[in-house]
Amino acid sequence: MAETKEKSLSDEKPKPRVRPIVRLGIFLISHSFHFSVVCCTAGVLALFLLPVLAKNTYISENALMPGSASPMLSNQHVSDGNRLVKDLTNPNSKSSETGIESHKIIAQYMLDLGAEVSFHKFHPQMNQFHPLHFFSSPDSGKIQENYSCSSYGINTVGIIRAPHGDGKEAIVLVTPYNALKSGFGEALSLGIAYSVFSLLTQVTWLAKDIIWLVADSQYGEYAAVAAWLREYQTPKFSSLSTPNAEMCPDVNNLFELKGHSISGSKFSNSFRRAGTMASALVLKVRDQNEQFEDTISIYAEASNGQMPNLDLINVVNYLAVHRQGLRVNVEKLWSLLNSSWLKSLGEIFESLAKVAKSLYPKWKFGIPATEYVEGTATLASSLYYQALGVPTGPHGAFRDYQVDAITLEISPKFSLDKVWRNDILLRGGRLIEGVIRSVNNLLEKFHQSFFLYLLTSPSKFVSVGVYMIAFALLIAPLPMVAASLYVDANSSSNCSKGDSSTPSAITDTDEHSIAIRSWRWLNSAKLVFIVHLWGAIVSLLPYFISQIPDCSPTTSFMIWVLLSILSLLTLNSVLASPLACAKATQEKEWALVKSVTISSVFIGLGLMSVINFATAEIGALLMVPMCLLAQPLKLDVRAGTLRSFCRMICNLVLGHIAFPPAAFFLLKGMLDGFGNANVGDFWMWVESLWAWNSATYLFIGMVQLPCWVLCISILFHTC
Amino acid sequence: METFINPKSLFHLLLLPCLLLYSSIAYNSSPVEAAMHTNNWAVLVCTSRFWFNYRHMANTLSLYRTVKRLGIPDERIILMLADDMACNTRNKYPAQVFNNENHRLNLYGDNVEVDYRGYEVTVENFLRVLTGRHETAVPRSKRLLSDEGSHILLYMTGHGGDEFLKFQDSEELQSHDLADAVKQMKEKHRFKELLIMVDTCQAATLFNQLQSPGVLAIGSSMKGENSYSHHLDSDVGVSVVDRFTYYTLAFFERLNIYDNASLSSLFSSYNPSLLMSTAYYRKDLYKRRLEEVPVTNFFGSVMETIHTDAAYKALSRRNSGRFEDEMSLDQSVHHIKRRMLIKVNDGDEIHDINPEGEEGASKCPWSTFRNKFQKAENVDSLLNYGLVAMIPLLVISTWLVQ
Repeated sequence: MAETKEKSLSDEKPKPRVRPIVRLGIFLISHSFHFSVVCCTAGVLALFLLPVLAKNTYISENALMPGSASPMLSNQHVSDGNRLVKDLTNPNSKSSETGIESHKIIAQYMLDLGAEVSFHKFHPQMNQFHPLHFFSSPDSGKIQENYSCSSYGINTVGIIRAPHGDGKEAIVLVTPYNALKSGFGEALSLGIAYSVFSLLTQVTWLAKDIIWLVADSQYGEYAAVAAWLREYQTPKFSSLSTPNAEMCPDVNNLFELKGHSISGSKFSNSFRRAGTMASALVLKVRDQNEQFEDTISIYAEASNGQMPNLDLINVVNYLAVHRQGLRVNVEKLWSLLNSSWLKSLGEIFESLAKVAKSLYPKWKFGIPATEYVEGTATLASSLYYQALGVPTGPHGAFRDYQVDAITLEISPKFSLDKVWRNDILLRGGRLIEGVIRSVNNLLEKFHQSFFLYLLTSPSKFVSVGVYMIAFALLIAPLPMVAASLYVDANSSSNCSKGDSSTPSAITDTDEHSIAIRSWRWLNSAKLVFIVHLWGAIVSLLPYFISQIPDCSPTTSFMIWVLLSILSLLTLNSVLASPLACAKATQEKEWALVKSVTISSVFIGLGLMSVINFATAEIGALLMVPMCLLAQPLKLDVRAGTLRSFCRMICNLVLGHIAFPPAAFFLLKGMLDGFGNANVGDFWMWVESLWAWNSATYLFIGMVQLPCWVLCISILFHTC
Repeated sequence: METFINPKSLFHLLLLPCLLLYSSIAYNSSPVEAAMHTNNWAVLVCTSRFWFNYRHMANTLSLYRTVKRLGIPDERIILMLADDMACNTRNKYPAQVFNNENHRLNLYGDNVEVDYRGYEVTVENFLRVLTGRHETAVPRSKRLLSDEGSHILLYMTGHGGDEFLKFQDSEELQSHDLADAVKQMKEKHRFKELLIMVDTCQAATLFNQLQSPGVLAIGSSMKGENSYSHHLDSDVGVSVVDRFTYYTLAFFERLNIYDNASLSSLFSSYNPSLLMSTAYYRKDLYKRRLEEVPVTNFFGSVMETIHTDAAYKALSRRNSGRFEDEMSLDQSVHHIKRRMLIKVNDGDEIHDINPEGEEGASKCPWSTFRNKFQKAENVDSLLNYGLVAMIPLLVISTWLVQ
């Protein structure tokens, strides 16, 4: 009696207070629709606000002190550089088939300065798809068997030892040079590097060794630098490679001649090393240019959207703009510059800022509309290149070894005037000298400034703390909607059952049915899992397709598509047919599938944002609306209201856009025009992605494609 | 015979300890302020390392050069340099340090004795130097062997903040630590007057906790202000001197050892618009008027003069008059010479007080002792006279006996 009384009492008691966070969660889940609309809009808006929120860059590391020392590069060094340029462009030096003569000239020049010189012979290593090598460091053990003497490159390496230094650190200067078909620009870049090099052999203030790498770019700039870096960082201890090198007569000849002409000098046949690399600069001079002033372009993106420390860019930007009077460029999406909608958006922001300023004078966040457009174009290209995950130059090879590096491309206003040439040699040389002196002052690795940032102009950046807000807002609704769908699916089926059965029957069967129902999502999870498994298989297929010899990109792509469809069908039939099963058992099955899909997309996007933010951001822009809107078309057709009609249209459009190849062609069409689009392009693009070990490839294969398939399956769900 | 001699020697023996006791009591019981300024010490500290802090080492070395020029000998300067810029690989002029872009003066020339260098410059070692609590193995050259007659200049430069000063990029000296060390120094009679000069950001905050009398403190900037470097040497590629130190040095460059510019003229020479910060000095713990204290009292080794007629006579600690500020320049030349002379003697006297006291029983050079000895001497002579008078008596008595 007492027990039952107590029980009834406890039943009557008001519910214990729910903790605020739980209540908030319940509130958000119950209002998930409004919440998701608000969040997604805010997320997209925040993305467009990023150029406005960008901060000015500043030198964060005390030790750098760029520009505090006056440049020491004089006209003497410039004329030295000029001499080299003349010798290299001299037609006599190009007589040799392999361009060995020019390498000899460069080596001789280096030796004359008193630097240590060595040649590094390498066989170009074609980038291949290694399914298990994603994120792993480049392999040193690989030795190619099928090389021939005809296909090798020669890097010329000169090293200056710091006169008072301990030789534990080094700064690398790279000039790509193709001896066979070098333009005037390449020769000029060598001239600039040489004039700096000749200065650095004389100075007393070096604390780090200087390595000048003349990378043989006949097999690609990146390949040459990567080969040298591989050798530098991971020494080979196999006896195979050395005799091989001597088997080639040309190389032998090269070494012999050198050894003969300058015996007892600092020339050595073996691979030379200096200390740990503090940073690296790749210097290029563009051949053609129609700019009105001397500009310098900075390329910073390395593989998987990794960026060098912002301080390095800051130093270059500061010295170029404030010391040498060069204009600094970073990549822009030129097509965006003329878009009128962006301009009007910028004007809206500008006027809003004006209103805000008139309300409260301390609010100063507005930027002019033109600046906004430029900032957006730069930001978009920054996002695009980071998302692509393919390095934008030879500097990418350094980032694989955690060395901060950038490529500087000088585009001078071209004329063959001698005065002009001296001027560009002097200014370019002084810029390089300033950067080297600044980096030379470093005590530790670059660590003070940001590694995660997007540039909106050479002197403005958006840091990770700001751009993550846009992304977080975009993906915040996902778990809420997933939870709400799950709750809905459960409760609605519960209600329908409750109505049909008599109240007395509920008590008995309830617990059992609840137990079954609460595990019903496993069915959907199985489906989602199968589709993701299929995604993994699809991502592996190109490895096998690429083994097929003599296959054009278009056919490869077709094979890939066919195999993918085939594998999806096979998987579907082998591992039961979840959709059919779902139809039989549950009406609301699609809601559960959607819920699990959304959860998996949330996890996928969250993971990707850690690996490569830009990919995750662009992926979220495509996938989040698609996931959130996905609803069986049948239901919309049946409803027949305007709202459902709109939703249907959106679903269809998004269903097309979010398909990875479609998205690719759309983007390509927007950038280059639709005229020359080719089906094979996508294959080539994918090939480049896996060749560069880009995580974007994995993302597309294992997150976006399955998500798209699942959404399509929801759209065509027969309920 | 023995019976006559023994009492006398006994008397002497009894008298000596009494005198010693008396003199030592008289010495110690005198108030500390009354102790005479007898010597000068300087502790110069550069607390920051790394190449881009070149200027801090240059600051310290410049001040080292100045105080040496103004007469503080090397053995009384404790120089602490947290890094070696002269031998830094980034130095365009190896083994040289400049504090001006004209490169006229190499601060790191000959005769620079660095007592604590590199990683030896820690908060612990700094406090040990101040308080004198060293391990037994630490050589005398690395100790601050000051006494209650010492004027100490404590110069510190580096990176500071609100009530702290960074040492070596890894630890901090807080204003409490400094105040505590100074208090200990005061209790251990390690200084008579102490001038703390700090060139850091928010330097004034470092003095907040000081409470020991006789301490004068000046800092380069107030709370919330930065101390800036003066100029950049574009040849070396770093800033070479801080503003506060630069103008301090500029002030001293005009002076020589015979000048008697006062501390107040130094303090008022700081122009906030040139410094880009407000030099702040705290003098509530300092008794003397700044107008009457010559800078050479701290930055040199110049102290008050006591005129004496004879070398060893009339040297009284009590009667020493105040220093005359208004003496003319031509006089001061002689004056200084005498001062130096006396200074040396003073130094000796401090350490030899006890032997002299013992000697005083027979030689009586000190007038103070003379009075005390007057009575004792009378007794002595009475005894002697008595003894002499007894000789004829003895002779007569022996003669009578025979």
